[in-house]
Amino acid sequence: MIDKDLEKNEEIENEAELFSFVEYSPEVAEMTGDSEYSYWKSVFQNFIKKKSAVVLSIIFIVLVIFTFIALSIGKYDYKTLIPDTSKAFIKPNSEYWFGTDNIGRDYWSQVWYASQVSIKLSIIVGIGQCVIGVLIGLVWGYVKKLDGFFTSIYNLINNVPRILYMMLISLLVGQSFTIMTVSLIAFGWLVMARNVRNLVMIHRDREYNLASRALGTPTFRILIKNIFPQLISVIILRLALSIPETIAMESTLSYLGLGLGIDTPSLGILLRNARNYFLDYPYLLIFPAVIVSTISVTFYLIGNAFSDAADPKNHV
Amino acid sequence: MFKYTGKRLLQGLVTVLIVVTIVFLLMRMLPTDYYFTEDQLMKFTEEQKNEQLLAAGLLDPIPTQLIRYYGQILRFDFGESKRIQNGVPVVKIIEDKFGISLKMGLISVVISVVVGIAMGVAQARHKDGIIDHIGTGYIVFANAVPPLVSYSLILIFGSRVLKFPSMYSSRNVGPSSVLPIVCLSIGSIAWWALWMRRYMVDETNKDYIKLAKIKGMSEKEIMRKEVLRNAFVPLAQYLPMSILTTIGGSILVERFFSVPGMGPLLTDAINKYDVNVVQTVVILYAVLSIIGIFLGDLLMIAVDPRITLTDKGGTEE
Repeated sequence: MIDKDLEKNEEIENEAELFSFVEYSPEVAEMTGDSEYSYWKSVFQNFIKKKSAVVLSIIFIVLVIFTFIALSIGKYDYKTLIPDTSKAFIKPNSEYWFGTDNIGRDYWSQVWYASQVSIKLSIIVGIGQCVIGVLIGLVWGYVKKLDGFFTSIYNLINNVPRILYMMLISLLVGQSFTIMTVSLIAFGWLVMARNVRNLVMIHRDREYNLASRALGTPTFRILIKNIFPQLISVIILRLALSIPETIAMESTLSYLGLGLGIDTPSLGILLRNARNYFLDYPYLLIFPAVIVSTISVTFYLIGNAFSDAADPKNHV
Repeated sequence: MFKYTGKRLLQGLVTVLIVVTIVFLLMRMLPTDYYFTEDQLMKFTEEQKNEQLLAAGLLDPIPTQLIRYYGQILRFDFGESKRIQNGVPVVKIIEDKFGISLKMGLISVVISVVVGIAMGVAQARHKDGIIDHIGTGYIVFANAVPPLVSYSLILIFGSRVLKFPSMYSSRNVGPSSVLPIVCLSIGSIAWWALWMRRYMVDETNKDYIKLAKIKGMSEKEIMRKEVLRNAFVPLAQYLPMSILTTIGGSILVERFFSVPGMGPLLTDAINKYDVNVVQTVVILYAVLSIIGIFLGDLLMIAVDPRITLTDKGGTEE
């Protein structure tokens, strides 16, 4: 008799235990999987398999390193260039490796300095857009009450061509590297946020997240551990594509005279200066054009390759 | 359907209102000197300037000015240009300019849609073949290389090898429009081809295509009757947008070839601080793109009866 009662008590106690929240401990949570699978390792392995993407990445890294080398080995320092019309339009030779421009300044130092400016601008802008876009996208997709609010902001900004905002900003605020960076980020996070939001909405109510929530996982942890990995491939793709986009936008604005200030040479400004002369002096176009195209195409292709590699669906 | 249309139109109207307000307020941040033509600035004393401003109501509190501006817009009165063309009404300036942009733009839209779709279809039919690879190469080129560079290449090739004029000229409209139109088209051809290929490949993997094959339909018939039509549906919504935005012209192409269209108007106005012109052109761009998106959604419903926008109220993306 007594034994039976005890058993019953135990059963009930067990039941209560079954339906109460387990105390959260990160070690225990990680213990479930026993496979050797590591996400980043697989990404890396998949990426390495694509020879073209690896070659392109190496080209880009070499190019960036070379911009620094090129500036230091050049015979003229960018900061001390003096206009001298008697030396205008000298074709590339041993003294002026890329020739001289229309007012007789060494083109080599200008081209490499401008490449550095453009690369710096596009990487800062790309990362900035990415961080803001992901953060806003996560909130936008996860918090249903805010959906209407963010959607109307999105529509409002997106309904007007982005180049208009950029032009208005350069009219009202001014032209400089910082202004350009901030305004490109301020109007560029939308696409990223929208992509992230759509993906979050797809994943937020899937069973595994329901289970996580039922087990009492904090929202922040669900976002970071469950949903974020699903987004990585899209985020990387957007990041890589935003670099050619930024370079294109910068060169367009600089060409229109609404980009960076005249004293900050960028590839856009060099191309604008070359516009009037390159039919007669093609080297003025070729050097900046080849560099800017290499950077853009490289990122475009690396981005596509890396996003395939980062997609968990393509992992074995 | 009507309820939905009405709601969307209302939303569009609110967006336009917000854009108008923002642009107006931004423009009021500029110094009042920009309300005078350059001649007036030189001749007028401070008192005369103030008198003029007072008479034009430009010293009133901002809300009063804003409401007056709404009223002006309703009467289709966008003020006068002060800097670009002395005292000419803005509407008149735009009337003169938009024809050129529209003509070039429409030709380029037709070329892009026809060539782009043909390219996408060819790529999808010969997937992983040589044509597909060439097409993909072109798409990468058009998307990744900054437009300024690809325009320059077209300019060199077109003017040196093919002997087309390197600048637009109103005396020689035909030949001198060729290069700008090619430049307008390269990007959008790539766009249409990319998506057409993607959607066609998606469609060909679907079950109903397998059924059609089993039924014994020929490959050509399947492509034309089934795949092409279904693949075009998601693209249809972008058609009105691309047609309407041609009115605004391409800022870069027109500047690059000195085409006297709508594109350079805005940059000129901005560089010379022509407040009324900037305001009007920005509003015009916004209105055009809002109408474009709206018509696109309507067109999508029209071509595909399965799509309803009413229940969820959003376009598919």
